[in-house]
Amino acid sequence: MTAVLTVQGLSAGYGRTIVLRDVSFEVGEGEVACIMGRNGAGKTTLLRSLMGVLPKTGTVRILDADVSHWPGHRINAAGMVWVTQEDSVFPGLTVREHLYIALGGEGVDEGIEAAASLFPVLGERLGQEAQTLSGGERKMLGLAQALIVKPRVVLMDEPTEGVAPVLVEGLIPAIAAVARKAAVVLVEQNIDTALALGSKAHVLERGAIVESGNVQELHDRGVLEQRLAL
Amino acid sequence: MILAAGFLPVDSFNVLVLAAVFILVAVGLHFTFGMLNVVNLVHGELILIGAYTAFQIQQETGNVLLGMALAPLVAGMVGGAMERGVLRFLYDRPLDSLLATFGLSVIIRQVVQLIFSPNPRTLRDPIGGSFVVSGFNIPWWRLVIVIATVVVVVGVSLLLSRTSFGLHARATVVNPGLAETMGVNTGLVRAGLFAIGSAIAGLAGAMLAPISTLNPQFGLLFLVNSFLVVILGGKGSLRGLILAGVVLGGSLAVLQFVISTVLAQIIVLAIAIVGVRVRPLLGQARQERKGRRPRPLSL
Repeated sequence: MTAVLTVQGLSAGYGRTIVLRDVSFEVGEGEVACIMGRNGAGKTTLLRSLMGVLPKTGTVRILDADVSHWPGHRINAAGMVWVTQEDSVFPGLTVREHLYIALGGEGVDEGIEAAASLFPVLGERLGQEAQTLSGGERKMLGLAQALIVKPRVVLMDEPTEGVAPVLVEGLIPAIAAVARKAAVVLVEQNIDTALALGSKAHVLERGAIVESGNVQELHDRGVLEQRLAL
Repeated sequence: MILAAGFLPVDSFNVLVLAAVFILVAVGLHFTFGMLNVVNLVHGELILIGAYTAFQIQQETGNVLLGMALAPLVAGMVGGAMERGVLRFLYDRPLDSLLATFGLSVIIRQVVQLIFSPNPRTLRDPIGGSFVVSGFNIPWWRLVIVIATVVVVVGVSLLLSRTSFGLHARATVVNPGLAETMGVNTGLVRAGLFAIGSAIAGLAGAMLAPISTLNPQFGLLFLVNSFLVVILGGKGSLRGLILAGVVLGGSLAVLQFVISTVLAQIIVLAIAIVGVRVRPLLGQARQERKGRRPRPLSL
């Protein structure tokens, strides 16, 4: 399988503090690579560096394009989108305006229709300021922004974290649907979610990958439980 | 009391003109300080550049209106160049950006003085003529300033609320990290905002020069008032800025009618300080006081 996302020798950190050390992995189309690890292992830092928010060393490629030193907006234009953990929104901007920005102003009507069919509650609140949505609805908005642009690579940071179980049941199929057409890097601490969505897992400890393999196999061997100290 | 003292329709018109002047000089600062958060001490010199551009073109061609049309272009280009060359590296360092804009303001003022000398200059009233209100001749140009202020405010409002650039600008201002990762070229948006703010400052300078005396200190006349209007209005709020412009400009005009100009200015300054301390009219500062400001975003 051709790798859509290739990460080689990636190191990154904050100031003089190195958080990620020599991280390498590949993700192909239709694959979900779960990045697992305890708090502080460097999972979110990995996504930030992939998205161009943090300076880094090493190589990041999307198909044939070396995006290692590209700014975030160019990486986004190359097909990489990020669903953040913090369900971040722009204060003062409506749901419709968020979707407009995600779509880059192109195919807006179709995109908004697609978002509304994925998450009907968003369709009912297009004119509402996004900061007034509930936490779960913001997660849906974040996912909708990522899904409607037909991305090549999707970075997801614990998309079901803090979401009511009844809503998680709706989110998992939506994530699985996008994963069929894109390469997904899923930061996840919940083993059940990783098992439901993931194909491969990479376990991070102190910024380095210490275990890689099929999610189910790692689970069967008890590696995930041991490494995550569950 | 004012009516009893003989407050005439002409005085009401002066209230309108002074409010328009306060708003016009502050709209540019709404972009650079209100939105981009740069304590932009070079704002007065961008006003100065606009005024001297119009003056120079008047001298070269005899056409003041051409000068007024080109003034925002020149000031916008200078502002855009300052943002790209210096200020874009300092968005996360407010003290450094303050020092940088102060330094740039001194440099520009000195360069203008070297080129044009400290002597006062006159920019001709482009249309001339006047109309009569309650027995007083009012230059048509003052009415043009009021109309131009309305056009600028409506234009800025439409730009920010109805265009793709405006949407990207509002997103960049509240969360640049998230905007960048969603495909917004935040560097370009910030440069655009600074250039537009500078261009409006230049336009204000060119339009106000005919009703004032032009010299290298010209921009300083408007710097403090511009900051007062933006801060009292509530940083980031265009509606608040208009309200603050009306309150401060109107107060000054009315007070000048009943007391001396210097005392009026002191009282207006006091109104602004008390207003900022007690109750910013709209915008971020008021939201923060009401506890409505959303939690800081981590991107």
